[in-house]
Amino acid sequence: MKPAAGRIFFTAISVLYPLIVYCGLEYWGLTPRRLSIVLLALAFYHFLNFTQSKSHAERGRTAIFVVLIFVCAFVAFFADNILFVKFYPVLVNLSLLSFFGFTLWKPPSFAFRMACLHDMSLEKSPSFKAVERYSRKVTVAWCFFFIVNGSIAAFTVFVGSYEIWTLYNGLISYILIGIVFIAEYLVRKMVQNKMQSYVPVCDLELDSRPNGALVSFGSGVDAANAEDVAANVAGLKTWGDFVSDVSKVRYYLESRENTPWILHCEDSYYFTVSLLAMLQSGRKALVTANRQEAFIKEIKKPEYGFITDEPFASGVLNADEMPATLIQDVLAGKCAEGKCIDDKCAPLKFGKFDKSKAEMVMYTSGTTGEPKAVYKRFLQFENELFELVKVFGNDWVNRNVYSTVNHHHIYGLLFTALLPIATGLPFRRHRIDFPTELANIAGDAAVIASSPAFLKRLSAETDKAIAFKCPPIIYSSGGPLPEDVARKTSELTGYWPMEIYGSTETGGIAYRQSKNGPVWTPFEVCKMSVAENGCLNIKSSYILEAEGFTTGDLVDLYDDGRFLLKGRSDSIVKIEEKRISLPEVENRLKQTGLVQDVRVVPMMGKRQYLAAAIVLNEAGREKFAGLPKLTINNFFHDHLLKFIENTVSPKKWRYLEELPQNTEGKIRMRDIQSLFGLAESPNFKILKFRREPGVLTAKLLFPATSDYFDGHFPEFKLLPAVVQVDMVLRLARNFLDVPKELSKMNRTRFANPILPDVPVMVKITYDADAGKVTFAFTSVDGEIPYSNGSLIMNAADSSADEVANRG
Amino acid sequence: MSDLKTRIKEVIIESLELEDITPADIVDSAPIFGKNAAGEGLGLDSIDALELGIAVKENFGVTFSTVKEETKKHFASVDALAAYISANSKG
Repeated sequence: MKPAAGRIFFTAISVLYPLIVYCGLEYWGLTPRRLSIVLLALAFYHFLNFTQSKSHAERGRTAIFVVLIFVCAFVAFFADNILFVKFYPVLVNLSLLSFFGFTLWKPPSFAFRMACLHDMSLEKSPSFKAVERYSRKVTVAWCFFFIVNGSIAAFTVFVGSYEIWTLYNGLISYILIGIVFIAEYLVRKMVQNKMQSYVPVCDLELDSRPNGALVSFGSGVDAANAEDVAANVAGLKTWGDFVSDVSKVRYYLESRENTPWILHCEDSYYFTVSLLAMLQSGRKALVTANRQEAFIKEIKKPEYGFITDEPFASGVLNADEMPATLIQDVLAGKCAEGKCIDDKCAPLKFGKFDKSKAEMVMYTSGTTGEPKAVYKRFLQFENELFELVKVFGNDWVNRNVYSTVNHHHIYGLLFTALLPIATGLPFRRHRIDFPTELANIAGDAAVIASSPAFLKRLSAETDKAIAFKCPPIIYSSGGPLPEDVARKTSELTGYWPMEIYGSTETGGIAYRQSKNGPVWTPFEVCKMSVAENGCLNIKSSYILEAEGFTTGDLVDLYDDGRFLLKGRSDSIVKIEEKRISLPEVENRLKQTGLVQDVRVVPMMGKRQYLAAAIVLNEAGREKFAGLPKLTINNFFHDHLLKFIENTVSPKKWRYLEELPQNTEGKIRMRDIQSLFGLAESPNFKILKFRREPGVLTAKLLFPATSDYFDGHFPEFKLLPAVVQVDMVLRLARNFLDVPKELSKMNRTRFANPILPDVPVMVKITYDADAGKVTFAFTSVDGEIPYSNGSLIMNAADSSADEVANRG
Repeated sequence: MSDLKTRIKEVIIESLELEDITPADIVDSAPIFGKNAAGEGLGLDSIDALELGIAVKENFGVTFSTVKEETKKHFASVDALAAYISANSKG
């Protein structure tokens, strides 16, 4: 007999055993002694199995089983006792119990081994852990079943008739096994639906998703509003659209010389299409959030391409000097240069790429310092995506992805462009800019990638909880999220934001929900250590350098790898030989209960000193309403002297409406320091400002008591033109490092009067090459233009007084 | 005398680059360094003292004793400083 046939034969005998015994006794008139021969045969069969089993533990386990069957068979034979013939089903249950139980003790569990055999890719999937946990539960359930089933089988041996024994062991027990199988299958389907699907971005192919699968959608929200509906329909993009659009951009890129491409697209869909096309075509992608002409010029070599979704305003950019490709033109098949695919029959270009060869460059501003290029291989992102899906993936199932952050920075790139593509979750093409917009998406199950800046605004501007149908999943990254903001966000949305700690250089390092305490849990792939300077060092598969990356953050590292951040290393400064921690001074100021936000910075003048930029909260604004600034300064100074020495107490103070943030939502020390570079006078106030390379926007106030209004005019006070130009020059010199003297005023118009005590906005841009400062004063809402013009600066030493003469 | 006091106040503000404060905000009898029980005073620190010493020498042509306690007395308030300068000024 061939082994396979023998196996089937004996399995059949094993399964039909209760029926054989019953028939033997009832119809064929066999004695227990004769029936015990069948048992003996089964015992031999199991003995043969035993001799073939490989592992040591496995042999021990089967040996006991075989011996027990032999014992039963012999006793039945010699004693001619039917009881021992009936024991076989109990022994089978015992054997299966010991087998399943053994794999629980020595994982992987039996069910998991089966699952891995079924799906070979499982071991490399981010759901690996989840499947393993589930399989373990299934194995435990089976063990439980064998205990119950075995006990009932034993019961039927001793109690009741042959009929009952046969009925249970020959039929009912098999039906029960079938029911458990089906139940497990149904549960498994349910669990699978709750698991996030995932395909690595570099492995995406034409058929990775169904053609009709939704990729992205527009921002229209009101189903009753025709414009909104139209915007949504126009914004809808399916997998079929996506593949075809990537293909078009690839044809275009590949028809041109292989050079790096600068990428800036405000629309997340266009951004993702362009990026994927570049990666698949092997074009190096320079991803920049900053689209200021000056910055682009700085990073763009003549041969580089530049792809964007917004045409530059005419005149701003010299087309010959900096040709930009509009992605809309490429998709519409009407680009001037290179080849656009309009042939519908051309095969689609879309497929895998080598993640370890694909290159990208990101730009970071960090908390201090100049913009810095960070070189990346796509492999780093791919590794991080895998980790993110592993940790958070199962929270995202069937949700839509929304963003309040910029996808040109690493966190936005990962969460709002790459993750949706890798997981197949639809994403909204446009950022959520205003907290009020959240109410519009309340009906949607959402994942929202957000930042402390947005959540601070949300919690400051919103009083009533937003009626989300199902609480959104909110991530926050870019800086620490104050606990009170996290709590308020949770009250408003039903979800306590999950904070991600990381940087452009390192990618994501750790995560926390501050309701569970301030301790950070690192992603599994990140190996933490403390560098010599007390700062956190990270080694991970998303950092290429073997020595890892040392952050500027001071850390307390626990044995289990979790850690507590203790502030930035540059947050401890020496003022005239005295060490002081800036966060300590900030926290003491917050202690007054009058301060919403504060930054203390070290300054260097004739002496070293600290300076504080404060945003008062409502209580603070109420308390100090109408009081002179000196009184407010003294209040805080007196408070601080209870805790710290006079030398390290701030000497200069600014009270703003909000602290200046860059596009990443970070507050840079440099910006705060430059605020103190311009001496404050009672004549004007800077209420808020924002500095980007070459651009300053500021909200200013000129009080009625200001000297600027003296005699201009007693009956109708308005801000003289000369003061406006002088203000522009002072701001430009201080914030934009305009070192040159004014040589000429161009096209300057004064359209409407600036009145006392009415806040105004001023936007100043500086083009260093042309030596040109452009300015515009407007009302705060931007509706009323007050004045605008441009000033030509000259390195030659012309007199600054010229302004006054012309005004 | 009141001219001298105003001048002293201006020198304090200019040499120490004080913000948000005018000569009128400085009380003649209030301490220059630290504060008195009534909470009056400029609240300047020891680093400011060195700077101010130099500025007063340059502007008023007076010198100070090397005995620290004595010098401290002269810098107790604008009143005290004015009295010392008018008594010791060569001009």
